Amino acid sequence: MSTTDIGPPHLGSRIGVDVGGTFTDLICITPDGQVLLDKTPTTPDDQSIGVMTGLAQLAERFGLDLGTFCAGLGTVVHGTTTADNTMIEQDGAAVGLLVTEGHRDEIEMRRVHKEQIWDPSYPAPFPIARRRNRIAIPERVDFEGEVLVPLDEDAVRAGVRRLRQLGAESLAVMFLFSFVNPDHERRARELILEEYPEVTHISLSHEVMPRGPEFERTSTTLVNAYVAPRVSSYVGGLSRRLRDAGYEGELLIMASTGGVMPPATVARRAVALLGSGPTGGVMGAAAAARRAGRSDFVAVDMGGTSFDICLVRNGEPEISIDWNWRYRYYIGMPMVDVQAVGAGGGSIARVRQGSLLVGPESAGSSPGPACYGRGGTVATVTDADAVLGFLPLTGFAGGLMTLDLAAARAVVNADVAEPLGIDVIDAAWGIERIVNANMANATRRVLAGSGVDPRHLDLIAYGGNGPVHAWAIAAELGLDRILVPKAAPAFSALGLLVSDYKVDLTRSYVTPLSRLDLDHLHALLADLEAEVTDELDPTGLPAEAVVRSRYVQMAYAGQNFDMSVPAPSRDLPADAELMELAERFHDRHEADRGFSFRDQDPTVRGVRITALGRVAKPLTLAQLGTVTDAGEAQTGSRPVHFGDGFVDTPVFDGSTFASGAHVRGPALVEEPFTVVVVPPGASLRLGEHTSYELSLDG
Amino acid sequence: MAVDLIELARPRRRTVTDPQVDPVTAEVVRGAMETVCFEMATYVSRTATTPILNQSNERNATVLDAQGRLAALSVGIPQFMLTSTLPVRFALEFLGVAEFREGDVFVANDPYHGGGHLPDYNVFAPVFADDPLTGVRRMVLIASIQCHHGDTGGAVPGGYNVTANDVWGEGVRWPVIKVIDQGVERRDVLYALQVNNRLPDYIGDLRAQIGAAQLGSRRLGQIVERHGIGVVEESVDFMIDYAAERFREEVAAWPDGTYEADCWVDHDPLGHQDVHLHVAITVDGDRLRIDFTGTDARQDLQAWSTFGNTRGYTVAQIAAMMDPEIPKNEGFFEAIDLIVPQGCVLNPHANRPVSAGTHHPGAEVGEVIALALQHVLAHKAVPQVYKTGIPTVISGIDPRTGQTFTDHSAEVYAGWCNAAEGMDAWGAQAAAFGNLWKATAEINESLYPHIQWSRDYRIDSGGPGQWRGLCGSHYVKEVRVDARVYTYVVGMKYPMPGIAGGRPGEPNQLTIRYGSDDPFVVAHTADWVPIGAGQKLCYDYGGGGGWGDPLDRQAQAVLDDVLDEYVSTEGARRDYGVVLTGSLDDLTLAIDPAATEALRAERRTGR
Repeated sequence: MSTTDIGPPHLGSRIGVDVGGTFTDLICITPDGQVLLDKTPTTPDDQSIGVMTGLAQLAERFGLDLGTFCAGLGTVVHGTTTADNTMIEQDGAAVGLLVTEGHRDEIEMRRVHKEQIWDPSYPAPFPIARRRNRIAIPERVDFEGEVLVPLDEDAVRAGVRRLRQLGAESLAVMFLFSFVNPDHERRARELILEEYPEVTHISLSHEVMPRGPEFERTSTTLVNAYVAPRVSSYVGGLSRRLRDAGYEGELLIMASTGGVMPPATVARRAVALLGSGPTGGVMGAAAAARRAGRSDFVAVDMGGTSFDICLVRNGEPEISIDWNWRYRYYIGMPMVDVQAVGAGGGSIARVRQGSLLVGPESAGSSPGPACYGRGGTVATVTDADAVLGFLPLTGFAGGLMTLDLAAARAVVNADVAEPLGIDVIDAAWGIERIVNANMANATRRVLAGSGVDPRHLDLIAYGGNGPVHAWAIAAELGLDRILVPKAAPAFSALGLLVSDYKVDLTRSYVTPLSRLDLDHLHALLADLEAEVTDELDPTGLPAEAVVRSRYVQMAYAGQNFDMSVPAPSRDLPADAELMELAERFHDRHEADRGFSFRDQDPTVRGVRITALGRVAKPLTLAQLGTVTDAGEAQTGSRPVHFGDGFVDTPVFDGSTFASGAHVRGPALVEEPFTVVVVPPGASLRLGEHTSYELSLDG
Repeated sequence: MAVDLIELARPRRRTVTDPQVDPVTAEVVRGAMETVCFEMATYVSRTATTPILNQSNERNATVLDAQGRLAALSVGIPQFMLTSTLPVRFALEFLGVAEFREGDVFVANDPYHGGGHLPDYNVFAPVFADDPLTGVRRMVLIASIQCHHGDTGGAVPGGYNVTANDVWGEGVRWPVIKVIDQGVERRDVLYALQVNNRLPDYIGDLRAQIGAAQLGSRRLGQIVERHGIGVVEESVDFMIDYAAERFREEVAAWPDGTYEADCWVDHDPLGHQDVHLHVAITVDGDRLRIDFTGTDARQDLQAWSTFGNTRGYTVAQIAAMMDPEIPKNEGFFEAIDLIVPQGCVLNPHANRPVSAGTHHPGAEVGEVIALALQHVLAHKAVPQVYKTGIPTVISGIDPRTGQTFTDHSAEVYAGWCNAAEGMDAWGAQAAAFGNLWKATAEINESLYPHIQWSRDYRIDSGGPGQWRGLCGSHYVKEVRVDARVYTYVVGMKYPMPGIAGGRPGEPNQLTIRYGSDDPFVVAHTADWVPIGAGQKLCYDYGGGGGWGDPLDRQAQAVLDDVLDEYVSTEGARRDYGVVLTGSLDDLTLAIDPAATEALRAERRTGR
């Protein structure tokens, strides 16, 4: 029972709950800006059990029972891996597809794409709907929405009956150009419900992904059909548990765009949750960087198995609309562009034919690196880190673990030093160099997509191993400034609450600009406006907190990438509006790509609306200590190898640092879940914004 | 004016005799150079205007050393990975190293000066650094990017003039020209390039390539600066040695002997029948000799594959039969002893036409090598081949614009993908073409006046085998305006072969005015065949060959194929000896085990 005497401080609090592989992280931000963190083991079979346990723990810290606590909450935002797990475990719904006759096999042909061009034995992806479950339907609409072949309703009915007989429970409908004219897909839904009223789920391609081309839309729609039943049942279940516990608000779910969705939208577009896992972390990093006054940076998260990279410009993570592949399926959804490579603490080092390789195979967390003493028997990056002195042998991972240095040396020696004929220290340093180069190269590849020079960016490093390797990655990339946020362990949960709500919707409308029907264009924009309102309503944001931007998507004929051109206002005369649009497009093309074709008639490809709902930000991201003279926080020293022999290196307890505390390299600054490595010649300072600033130039 | 391409392809001297660099550093440098290749290729995708570059991935980025040896690459299509080294070597020898100055960028496209065919443009730029040993600034590396363009001048739009008498008839030849002279654009030269091309976007695409080469040169400069000239050059030689060594280790594991095979292209575009390829592959310890002596040398043929092109297809097929992780660099190519007599279709006398020949007999080089090696490497014998002929070009006036449109039919369709041991063929094409990203109905129907009615897999078109070849597409396209069709078709008489007892795939067949009372079935070439508004063309693309004896295919897998309509009930019995009861329509199909066993036994003894 509540024992507070100054009124319940939690009223109106916002909760972020992020389900990770091992732990479910919770963050609670009260209206007066207090931040509480908590965590509880993830319950893989039904993640909502762990979520409720975590909420009960938080309630206890307020001295409240779960019911009182939940009844007083403002918002609950949730990040779940249910969609990803469904794809990983391949245990989604039995899916059937109704598809335009003649285009039954798009999903298998994949526009010719295969992932491994040098390996003719590389197998096919697992089938979501085998060919027998894909039924060809006579119907056809052309690119302007004209019906060429009317929908064969008998074929739809027969197809649905056959799919039902085949055991399909979730049905997808993918008709060509349905995003231009959705009548046939809509009619198909009615017919499905007549023939198969107990069908679990229906995914219409124009609702899941209202644009072309058809392979991308087929893939996205099939994945949606595959994951939606499990995802919506999970989200529905959690909503019920929360309601039963007394929560009266709407449960909001984090999507891979970095925005949130109410359960009703999730049921329709579950595929938008796919790949949302690392998004919270990026949003948390963006919040920490914003606090530190940084707006252009690359965020890198190095954990046990993967290295996640995301470019952030003007404070906004890059959103990728094209080429989002997950689990070998194309996902035609805008996603925060987090790209992962197989480089982490658990990445396995081995010598093959005289060449040292590190990753992408990983020992994961179990058995994990040999130095964990959990049965790991192969050399990993963390073993090399231990051999070189970067890691504390006791009090590792928040004090949970003691590292076995002898085991680390033994595996590095056996797996790398002996095969290469070098000593164990050189072998460990070799592992270090390869994995750091791999991460730097992967980062460059990500930046290449946007044409950004890394030397103009900051590096924001987090994850258990990010701050250990950040200095070396930065040196490879030729950048100098690194930010290590103290709040990093809470990023995934924090990201749920600091994310501004984002809606990004598009409608296809393909026409040469010269023949653009402005009435139609503005009608499409009005449709999108209404959808934006529907999606943002449940967030309870006041209208003035929402910024909407309206765009026309344009390209030169034949170009693959659309450019978003701000839509001119309606009050211009029609020909002025067209000219204005053409000018804006040519100018923008010139600015972004360096050239334009002013005598060409550009192609309009669609309209787009983005809406940004700004949420209130917490006042502080992490608690700081009181020690301003770092010397007082020194806990000892140990020899560390930075590439040129061992140097005695002082070790500091970063948790006691007050803002302004600073050290010069070589130094190790230990945090509960990581170590910030400061190489010789570099300097590190804790800013009042609660992030460490590491400068390689000193 | 004849350049000896064999001489051009001969091993170049090493830069460093005995590299002392440690393997870790060499690996770090290699990773950095491959990343630069990726950055160059990405730059083209980001900045090019035409779909062929920004969408279909027909581009290759490479790093060469100052001798013109391949150091690293990011590859679009393996078959084309080599065509960027020989033009650079020609430039080095023709101009001399002194003509390579800091800030220069060169363009080249000529098949008889090292290129593949005229539409493949090679753009390259040297990388300079201070040599601490001599105190002189000198060339260390060369960044190169190669892209396929949609036109190259000449008599026929699109770069495929299949009735040309010689290479001049196919397009404009640029053996090597400097487009950027020490950082300054040569407007006269760029303008000359521009006016010798039909496409308005050509020069924009070429600029994208130039920008990519400049980016590559800058970034490689940073790498040389970071590691030092010595370390970079030693690393290049180390990795070349490493690739050669790994290559020889693989070859050493193959049984010694000479393995021969033949294959044929149906005809050249003029209708000369049965273009014959013969190969004898000798494995001798760790040496591999590939000898095309005995290959067709009729001098009146129209389609020729230059030595450089033949070499590229040879290496691509061998690469598909080796550990995919061996670095693809000079060491890989030098390890092959390649013999192609001058004057045969795989190494023409100068100036023979090549636009069609680049593909056929080019692709068949891979086929005949896979056929020869199936006797010793059956599990790796998967021909990385296509039977495209040339693209199916449809041209007419687009009523929406009043302008001529040229539709290269660059849509996705399935064809010619062979099975591998342990794996049914899947997808649309062989793995080597997996970087392609072809257009679809929803893209092209808004660009061209046509309707794509079908590209579904054709039942029973995949070659039967223990592992099944991929079905080819039944591809039907209707033109919405009067138009004409230009193309060249192969793979009708000689479809994709089966391997290790597998059966061939079904052949290609192209019918123009399909379903009308006046159909035109293409015999070898369609030379602007008229097709009326509302008429269709139908391309039944050939299937891939099967792998292993179809009688050894699990009956359950055959039943599954029938349920999925890759194989018909009749096909199950005829091709696999599997007898099914029940019906597909009401999903009551089942295997009749006794009848199946009896039929299979009968087939086996009847051989």
